[in-house]
Amino acid sequence: MHSQAGAPGASGAPGAPGHPGAPLSRRRFLALSAAGATAGAASLSGCALQVSSAASGAGETVTVMAKSGDISTDLIKQAQNDIGVKIETVLYSISKLIAMMTNGNPPDLVRGVGAVDAPYFAARGVMENLDPYFAKSTVLKSDDLDPVNDLWRYDGRTQGKGPRYGMAKDFSQDSMFWYNTALFDRAGVEYPPELEPVTYEEWLDKAKRLTRRKNGATTVFGGSYNGVLTPNMLASLTVAAGGNLFTDDYSRVDFTSPEARKALGWYIDYCRTRVGPSIIQPDPNTWDGPTFQANRLAMSNSGYWLGGLINTDKKLAPLSRLAPAPVFEGGRRVSPCQAGTGFWIPSKSHNKDAAWRVFEWFFGEAPAKARASGGWGIPTLKSLRSLMPSQAPYQKEVLKVQKAELNHFSVIAFTPYATADSLYALFNQIAPAAMNGRMSVDRLAGQLNSAMNEQLKRGKEQVG
Amino acid sequence: MTATSVTPTSAPRTRVNRLVLYTVLVVITGLFLGPFGWLVLSGLKTPAELAASPVHWLPAHVQWHNFADAFDLIDFLGYARNSLIIALIYATLVTLSSAWVGFGFARLSAPGKKTLFGILLGSMMLPQMITLLPTYLIFAKLGMVDTYWPWVLWGLSSAPYLVFLFRQFFAGLPRELEEAAIVDGCGYGTIFWRIFLPQSWPVLSASFVIAFTWTWGDYIAPQLLLSTDRTTLAVAVMSTYVTSAGTPVTNLQAAASVMYVVPILLIFLIAQRGFVAGMSTTGLK
Repeated sequence: MHSQAGAPGASGAPGAPGHPGAPLSRRRFLALSAAGATAGAASLSGCALQVSSAASGAGETVTVMAKSGDISTDLIKQAQNDIGVKIETVLYSISKLIAMMTNGNPPDLVRGVGAVDAPYFAARGVMENLDPYFAKSTVLKSDDLDPVNDLWRYDGRTQGKGPRYGMAKDFSQDSMFWYNTALFDRAGVEYPPELEPVTYEEWLDKAKRLTRRKNGATTVFGGSYNGVLTPNMLASLTVAAGGNLFTDDYSRVDFTSPEARKALGWYIDYCRTRVGPSIIQPDPNTWDGPTFQANRLAMSNSGYWLGGLINTDKKLAPLSRLAPAPVFEGGRRVSPCQAGTGFWIPSKSHNKDAAWRVFEWFFGEAPAKARASGGWGIPTLKSLRSLMPSQAPYQKEVLKVQKAELNHFSVIAFTPYATADSLYALFNQIAPAAMNGRMSVDRLAGQLNSAMNEQLKRGKEQVG
Repeated sequence: MTATSVTPTSAPRTRVNRLVLYTVLVVITGLFLGPFGWLVLSGLKTPAELAASPVHWLPAHVQWHNFADAFDLIDFLGYARNSLIIALIYATLVTLSSAWVGFGFARLSAPGKKTLFGILLGSMMLPQMITLLPTYLIFAKLGMVDTYWPWVLWGLSSAPYLVFLFRQFFAGLPRELEEAAIVDGCGYGTIFWRIFLPQSWPVLSASFVIAFTWTWGDYIAPQLLLSTDRTTLAVAVMSTYVTSAGTPVTNLQAAASVMYVVPILLIFLIAQRGFVAGMSTTGLK
């Protein structure tokens, strides 16, 4: 690679006097300087400065773009032992991903949030259709795949249908919530029913009654309800209210429809009453876990995955219960997954077969089994459900609620025309005024429509 | 009686003025040190204490082991070594190249010099984000992704702000120095190396500290160009203090952040005198 720049072509550029002894014109001087510099660089490429370990042959080294925690160092060593594939990791970054894809040398596996990333990347034609791989696999069989993996399907128009482009590593139904019975007892608030959902209005009322404040500071949050990513949480709330946030072709949002208005109004009420963390009252811990663990959060809108933390705390675990996703009065009972984080293979990957081998191993073999028994999410293969923690009585209770809730899972399709992050940024620019009571929800709905639809329009022009 | 004599009423007034001045300085120092102090305290707490309300200002039991744990959870020394190599390479090269370019702008004359200098300064206005993708593509085509070569090239190509710093300093040196050297038969290369550069230690020191700090603290370039194993401490501290489930380990991250800042503080303390002198002799104070 280094020698390319120092190749004869560098000094033999058109117009450059080529014969020895020719006067050293400024152009020739520059050309020679460039060649000298690159040759010098090439000669140094073998020294200590060269820190890159060049990729080995196809099928041996797979570059994985992931976040820390997705694939640990131990897991990388395990991959080498289990399947003989060397994994190199690069930290996930959308800028870096675009740069690598533009350069024609993308990672072989890329982490993604199925609920929002799958339609975005699939619509742009950069994901490999994995149907042929699934058809041949003896590890990942189609009839063993949990329906949550449909988040990674896209038929060119709608998420949830068509070819598979990826798979979730584990999942939760993210509209469910955990509650701390000790804080309910202290506040004299009745527990939610075990298997029947409360309404969102009841949830908010409980949160208000559970909130404790001292000298202006919130000592106990009544409830946290922020979903995984605000845009698809609002899409989920709108479906729960009986409507759809997106138009039929997913090219526009409509926050002014009665159902979306109801969903938006509820969330703004939640923020305005300050019963839980939000953009105008952020939790310094940045996520619910430590706050729930410190008995400062009565209800946490986290799905089954939070059990991974709760199970490790012997005092907290017996006090904690999982409850079904709330419903809106007159709305539908839905319990979606707002994440479904997993991996996909770029269509321009140079090492697809080795990438698939890692994919199979990660989603169906030892790492998948370890994740299933850890309690940090529901396994995405039905055959691994028996590994979910169920020894302690509280774990049995949680599992009973979770199993019943699976019947209400459905894919809530997201738009392919914008990233969830870009819509979230627009929401965060506009919504605080409404959360602080300086703007009506109706006006907010109109402003969100204008800003987000402009963004979606640009995205649609790109996709074509 | 001279103008410096102290009248009976001016002595108490001076004392009051000093008291006010020192009070203001202590408050400002407190404001600046506050976030760092909070970071140190966070690094000494348990996760439960960090999440507690009312806020626990001081840890009930100081968790010194957080620092050792922060060291063990990631390859802290490895990432620190990567940061140090990059920062030293870049700071050394860019200081020398900027001094050379600054000397040219200060002491040599050529057609279009002012325009070129204007363009150079104008390039400071270009946000790094705009050049992110082209930068990656250029280095990828040159086979330099996941190597430290980009920092060598950036170092050799000087930095506009540092060029400006050196240009200001060199422009202030007496012309007689240069003329005497020319009479003695020196060329401009010799004048730069033997006469001007030895006199510019304060600026060299300031430039080195600034460039080292830029690189040590840079997140975007190493994140873009280096793989997880070869990246720098800035990237590692930001993104690798998580559990196997991907949840943040905030107290260890705080402890690691304290350790991450220490080298910069040490370098500044060592080079403080030269840094302050360098900034004040260039007219940029």
